[in-house]
Amino acid sequence: MNRRTRLVVAGICALAIAPAVAVVIVHIPAFGHHPLPYGDAINRAAGAERHVTNMVTAVNFDYRAFDTLGEELMLVAAVTGTLVLLRGRRGENVSDRAAQAGDRPVCERSEAVTLACRIFLPLIVTFGLYVILHAGLTPGGGFQGGAIVASGTLLLYLGESYSLWRRLMHSLIFDMLEAAGAIVLVLCGLLPMLSGAAFLENVLPLGQTRALLAGGLILVENAGVAVAVTAGFILLLLEFLEETRATRGGEKP
Amino acid sequence: MSYVPWATAAWLSAVGIYGVITSRHYVHLIGCLTVVQSATYVALLSVGYRFGSVAPIFYTRSPSTPAVDPVLQALVLTDIVVGATITALLLALTLQVHKKRGTVNPERLRPFRQ
Amino acid sequence: MPLPVAVPLLVGAVLLLVGKFLPGRIPDAVAAATAVLVVVIDAKLAAHAAQGPLVYWMGNWQPRAGVTLGIAFVVDEAQAILGAFIALLFAASFAFAWGYFEDIRAFFHVLMLIFLAAMQGFCLSHDLFNFFVWFEVMSVTAFALTAYRLEADPLEGALNFTVTNTIGSFLILGGIALVYSLAGMLDFGALARSLAHEPGDPVAVAAFCMIATGLLIKGAAMPFHFWLADAHAVAPSPVSVIFSGAMVPLALFGLGKIYWDAFQPVAAVQVLMDTTVLALGMTTAVIGGLACLRQRHLKRLLAFSTVSHGGILLIGLALPGAASLGGFLAYFIGHGLVKGALFMVAGILLASAGGIDELWLRGRGRPLWPAGIAMAVAGILLGGAPFGLMDCGSRLMDAAAAARGEDWVLIAIVLGAACTGGAVLRGAGRIFLGLGEMPGEEARGPSEEESEKPDRPLWLMMLPVLLLLILALGTGLPQVDETAVRAAGRFLAWDGVASIAPVTPPPPAAVPTGVHPLVPWVSLGLAVLIAAHDLGRAWLPRTWRRRFERAFFEPIFTAIDRTHDGVVGDYVAWILVGLALFSVSAAAALHAG
Repeated sequence: MNRRTRLVVAGICALAIAPAVAVVIVHIPAFGHHPLPYGDAINRAAGAERHVTNMVTAVNFDYRAFDTLGEELMLVAAVTGTLVLLRGRRGENVSDRAAQAGDRPVCERSEAVTLACRIFLPLIVTFGLYVILHAGLTPGGGFQGGAIVASGTLLLYLGESYSLWRRLMHSLIFDMLEAAGAIVLVLCGLLPMLSGAAFLENVLPLGQTRALLAGGLILVENAGVAVAVTAGFILLLLEFLEETRATRGGEKP
Repeated sequence: MSYVPWATAAWLSAVGIYGVITSRHYVHLIGCLTVVQSATYVALLSVGYRFGSVAPIFYTRSPSTPAVDPVLQALVLTDIVVGATITALLLALTLQVHKKRGTVNPERLRPFRQ
Repeated sequence: MPLPVAVPLLVGAVLLLVGKFLPGRIPDAVAAATAVLVVVIDAKLAAHAAQGPLVYWMGNWQPRAGVTLGIAFVVDEAQAILGAFIALLFAASFAFAWGYFEDIRAFFHVLMLIFLAAMQGFCLSHDLFNFFVWFEVMSVTAFALTAYRLEADPLEGALNFTVTNTIGSFLILGGIALVYSLAGMLDFGALARSLAHEPGDPVAVAAFCMIATGLLIKGAAMPFHFWLADAHAVAPSPVSVIFSGAMVPLALFGLGKIYWDAFQPVAAVQVLMDTTVLALGMTTAVIGGLACLRQRHLKRLLAFSTVSHGGILLIGLALPGAASLGGFLAYFIGHGLVKGALFMVAGILLASAGGIDELWLRGRGRPLWPAGIAMAVAGILLGGAPFGLMDCGSRLMDAAAAARGEDWVLIAIVLGAACTGGAVLRGAGRIFLGLGEMPGEEARGPSEEESEKPDRPLWLMMLPVLLLLILALGTGLPQVDETAVRAAGRFLAWDGVASIAPVTPPPPAAVPTGVHPLVPWVSLGLAVLIAAHDLGRAWLPRTWRRRFERAFFEPIFTAIDRTHDGVVGDYVAWILVGLALFSVSAAAALHAG
């Protein structure tokens, strides 16, 4: 089909689907007044039962921790998949220069950028660590904080040079960290079974509400997820950045 | 008034799918998939909302304050991770296709037909 | 109970950690051993589930005051048996892939083990969002594995696969949002109970349509099947074994789970399943079979045959009752075994003969005669032979259809099976016997040059093939009929509410006998006829070739070619066509009820 036929077909289908969508929108329970039995039950009970004050973390790492396990392994699979897709010997054949894209100019790094990155990098990494550690108390958690820390390290590349970034971000270490994070999460599930409890049951001491070390197994799972997410995103950045480099000797990679 | 969130979600999906169908550049297509994904976020989060409620964080409030549904927020978190992973895979595929075929126009990228 | 999921995940993660340092074939061995371990665990679960379904709450979050707080796994015989079969297919695939993936070392095994774990979770899960999470993990690993070869065609095939299936995932998420707004909970049992209160709600029907469309995209039913030919044809052979043998039929089984566990109380959904889904299954079976005959690229031929048999599976799913579901289960396993063996034969041809184009390979397969025998046997089984596991399945479906007076459903099954069996037999005859000098419609099919590394001995590659075929042949016994119907009956009776209420064993269902004993022979005969016609084309009179072939068959084949053109925008437009079809039928179903 060419473009126009496609649009005609899509238009006719839209005419058929639109009334159905309208009927559904009219019949959905009114916005803002939904009965939410599941959510209410958790809001009422989780604080007292698990001594955390962030209900979303409680759902993520305790009530529905099995979903988080799947999600974490999906991230591992996707990062591994990207490594497979963008494979090539890491570090060989790439130079420090950025590759040319058409006739767009490649600008020199300005000193203002370097200064700004040097100021902000520690701030961002600290903020990311804060978000990770306070998972049970305030909005945040392993996923969110891990993404912040990983993006923060990109400032190393922005402010300094590609070769410094490559030297500091050892891909082997992050490979192993990502795997270690995933292993921690699976073990959090299997180890309680050794003591007769259920898979992923929270068997550690729970601590006091509003303390940093509250929540029992939630903290361990949170740490595992944070490590894995940080390492995973840094690996993705490594692979994609490498694609933007010019090759030595001008050959195609 | 209460139809706005659902209509927004439907509109976002329609726009995204229109973009996918008529796209001429794969990176644009990936962006349109992200738009469709945002539609699912809007739909999921709208289900969990309640007027007059606060976020489900009880650090400074008592646990019996009415709050929105935390389960849906956890679902959306998973959804975001799904989206990020698929975007990464798609971008990697697009990069490699560009190296092999020199184009990223979906209408010219047909397996088994050159 | 969560072990079938947790064990492969743990081994996969450990392999990721130490994979760089492990020498040679250790990752292969470890991965194969893990798959075998999962088979054993699933078999034990199936045995335990004989008395009653096993219910396991993750994290020990039991339901409280009618609100299900946690995620449940509910295991009964049917699901455990399917899980065991999938793990067995993985073990065979690991054996076949011994030493294949040299340059990515343990990454292949990590991805496959996560794939295995996701399929186990998909089979056993009893919570709607958890079901979706494992579906996504399956998809992500599949996307990455498809494009392994990093050439133009695999990359494009992988892109088509990813874009269409991602839209499917978004549809499922939308459906989950709609269901949650009605029911407030995510456990299947709780959903069933809550949907029973409002049987006529259009939101529930819309949610089912969205979730069904998402699953049917992955399960390659028409009009959502276009991605499959592109993706399965370019994926490496060990991976295609799993895609066609397990992933596609499992998506259809997922549709069955959603329907019987959660959505059955909604009357309009029942009507939809009986009519629209049945019609889609029949169309898929026939069109998939016809498209099969057009192909000369062996893996693309097999991909279309998966589409066709997926349509037959969908027919078994859409017919209500324990007999047809039992047929579905038997056909699932039988088809998976045979299709896995066929993809392995394709891999053998790629590695040892150096090509995959049927016309190029004519006669070149003679030194590989064990593979030829395997391919011929597989072709006979696909074509509907009256023995073996696939026949068991189609007999049960046949009886279920006849019991409802819908015998005409059989026409689609016979046509689909005959066309695919005929195409495989034609391929076997041409490649291994050198017959068929004059090409017909397949000459205009799309193809490409391809080869794989020839570094495994033939006997090593043939071993998994033989194992799979022996299982497919040897298990077509009457006891299997009984087991299938019994497992299906229990699944239907127990699975939905098992997580929230105690269940009693259902009365034993009568095993129906095949009503049309001639049908398998008709199907097989037609398959042999098609193969003979194509191979002996040089001896047919010219008037036949001119009048009938060019005037009658060629337009059909050209239309098939034009629609399967590889442009992803077209595929998405077809998804919209399918959605429109569902909207119209849902409106009709609601109006009638």
